[in-house]
Amino acid sequence: MADIIVSILVSGLVLGSLYALMASGLSMVWTTLGIFNFAHGVSMTVGAYVAYEIAQRLGPDLWVGYSILLALVVMAAVGAAFEYLLIRPFYGRDDMVLVTIMTTLAGLTFLENGVLTIWGPRLKQLEPLIPGNISYGLVNISRQELIIVLVAPVILLALFLVLNHTQIGRAIRAVGQNQKSAQLIGIPVTRMFLVSFGLAAALAGLAGMLLAGVRLMTPTMGADPLMKALIVVIFGGLGSIGGSIGAAYVIGFLEAILIFTVGIYWTPSMLFLLMVLVLLFRPQGLFGAKNPSSL
Amino acid sequence: MINRPLAIAAALLLLLLLPLVLQGPYIRHLFILAFLFAIVAASWDLTLGLTGLFNFGHIAFFGLGVYTAGILTTQAGVDPWLVIPIAGIVAALAAFVVAAPTLRLRGIYVVLVTFAFSQLCLQVVMSQGDLTGGAGGIVRVPSLRISDYNFARDQRLGYYYVSLVLSLACIAALVAIARSPLGKTARAVRDNPEYAAARGIDQMRIRLTMLVISAIPTGIAGALYCIYFRVAAPEVFSFSTSTLILTMLLVGGAGSIVGPAVAAVGIVMISEYLEQFPDLKATKHMLLAVGIILVLRFFPGGLAQISANLFARSAKTVGATPERAP
Amino acid sequence: MAAILLDVGHVTKRFGAFVAVNDVTFDVREGEVLGIAGPNGSGKSTLFNILTGIPFGRDAGEIHFRGQSVGRLKPFEIARLGLVRTFQKDSDFKTLSAFENVMMGTWCCGPISASQKRDLASAALDKVGFALERIHLTAGDLSVFDRKRLMIASALVSSPHLLMLDEPASGLTKPEIDALRDLLLELNASGLTIVVIEHVLPLLMAVAQRLIVLNEGRILSQGDPQAVVRDERVISAYLGGQASHAHAS
Repeated sequence: MADIIVSILVSGLVLGSLYALMASGLSMVWTTLGIFNFAHGVSMTVGAYVAYEIAQRLGPDLWVGYSILLALVVMAAVGAAFEYLLIRPFYGRDDMVLVTIMTTLAGLTFLENGVLTIWGPRLKQLEPLIPGNISYGLVNISRQELIIVLVAPVILLALFLVLNHTQIGRAIRAVGQNQKSAQLIGIPVTRMFLVSFGLAAALAGLAGMLLAGVRLMTPTMGADPLMKALIVVIFGGLGSIGGSIGAAYVIGFLEAILIFTVGIYWTPSMLFLLMVLVLLFRPQGLFGAKNPSSL
Repeated sequence: MINRPLAIAAALLLLLLLPLVLQGPYIRHLFILAFLFAIVAASWDLTLGLTGLFNFGHIAFFGLGVYTAGILTTQAGVDPWLVIPIAGIVAALAAFVVAAPTLRLRGIYVVLVTFAFSQLCLQVVMSQGDLTGGAGGIVRVPSLRISDYNFARDQRLGYYYVSLVLSLACIAALVAIARSPLGKTARAVRDNPEYAAARGIDQMRIRLTMLVISAIPTGIAGALYCIYFRVAAPEVFSFSTSTLILTMLLVGGAGSIVGPAVAAVGIVMISEYLEQFPDLKATKHMLLAVGIILVLRFFPGGLAQISANLFARSAKTVGATPERAP
Repeated sequence: MAAILLDVGHVTKRFGAFVAVNDVTFDVREGEVLGIAGPNGSGKSTLFNILTGIPFGRDAGEIHFRGQSVGRLKPFEIARLGLVRTFQKDSDFKTLSAFENVMMGTWCCGPISASQKRDLASAALDKVGFALERIHLTAGDLSVFDRKRLMIASALVSSPHLLMLDEPASGLTKPEIDALRDLLLELNASGLTIVVIEHVLPLLMAVAQRLIVLNEGRILSQGDPQAVVRDERVISAYLGGQASHAHAS
């Protein structure tokens, strides 16, 4: 029994960490731009494949960590380009929320099929940062998963510090709270959009690169995490990055428990049902952040 | 200026007589597909375009129609003719289920829940392998017949006319609804929800009604799709199917009902033409995606806007842009 | 004294720590025109919003309309009882024609035939002086004054018991305001009870039989319009800032 509980805890932690990396970016883009980015999941895929490609080019002698660092830079650029091409032209239209849902859906289709065209459907794997497993008492975890569990809170803490204690972070939050006022006090609002998209894509990309060291990569590997991130942000309330991160861990543990109790097939349905219940009774999310007034 | 009723009559006659000219199963196959997708695109437009309901799970109604037909015919031996209306009813019931959590929500949350619902349907289909065949789907679905005549014979002549008639009937019904007081009220709710409430309009009821109405033809189209292909496969729930239909809706002009149906014909032709080259499958989807973005960027009113100008009528019959954020 | 149509008792609305409407009590009597004035942010529009439930209800207090408590009703149910409002910002169903805009008002009419509905809509358009040749134009293409008139016409369709107008004169020219004044007087003369929020004081003074002045969410003064505008509290809190505003518009 104890070993089961431990393994549920471990897998819940791993899932929660991945979802937190995903959901925080989704939520950040929503709070700054008021845009729900359906292509957020595919950023994860693209990140993993870009890191894979760089690792291939650099050769097997070089530690995969360098490839990941390079790939993160590429992902930030991809995110910024995405904003420039798919979001910016529609900015200020009165149907912008709906239009950008469609453009990001189109972006998702484009990138997913782009990955398929460039790298093909065959399964690939990125080398783990540190190979091997760790066993400590009842805990049995691969080193890569341990890295995921440890790295996610560090990255999210860094994100929190950046958003709250740096000039650029405060600018992003100011834009999220009131674009017009932010503009008036001289914050380059459009540049903040680029930054926030770039940052979000890098965060999702990182999740993909870390995951690719544990599981095999496919062009559709981002679809399921997007679904989960979607449930996470509904639980946490879209408007709150902190709420989303908290909800990510809750959903991670819930999923781990559900997989053990009702099985892998019924888990998505149960999560969906929970989401519906949350929406029926608390449309603003479990952690109570208020929705942006426009919606 | 072109006479509108005359143009419509000519188009109908052309569609009826087309099989005389178009010999060969492949070209007819293209038209059958186009007719079926026209139903799906036009009925999705009823909620997304006309009512301004941010419904992104419409494909679920189609998929449910497909699987209702597949399961009932192969596992319960129900007559293929009978499952077509049953699929419409099943889709309508599903619309009630989605409506429960969505109707009180607004904006992006409606998108998330409806979208999640369609993904949930996919997950359930994949996991209930005993019933749905899982990833492999259901095969050997019986074909439509009248006594001994199989509708696939004579180069799919029967299916051509069944899908044409169903498509015309569904689209005519959808247009009639769009022009009825109910349809106008739906547009009022889309244009200005607060003002609508101030005039005694019960938005939740209007939205529920439209969602259920839009599900029925979609389920019917799904059933016929399944019976025609004689297969039910999980791909019907995929992003790609959604994107394909969304392209039709946008190219045709959101809110115009007929526009998306017309666009469906053209887009199915292009899409199926590219399907011949297996290497280009991914490229096809990339092109569709680029198409969506270009239309949104440069022709937000779609074909309907262009044709409205052609028919020298003001833009008032066209729902212009689909929706603004409430 | 005429019967009380709308009875508002101790209503309060908070936004976080900010109290937008603070313990407001007043009534509207059958057949009168009640004016509500007050500086920007004094709670006028919020008061309208909580009375009609659009887009939010009150936090505390009682609202009775024709003897029935409406505080818990949905906005469309309140409208169907005959308490119908207009909006300050331009509101229209922009893709519908002018006539179809007005037809939307028939949702408050109860079960009547389609031809009756059309007749009522035509009559309402006629009442507000909307030009017949423009009834098939799309609302989004009309002038501000035409859209204001449509909004009033769509309210009149169902012969409401109470018409609540939220700054009907905003954005109108001087001759248009005069036309609006005549319309309101005419509607009132035909027996309609009206509550009107307005910045443009001369209009309010011309149509209102009673005046309420709000400040910081509370009623500062109410009663005979002439007496209210001479009230010192009103002059210091409101007219000082308002005089320049009224002048500018």
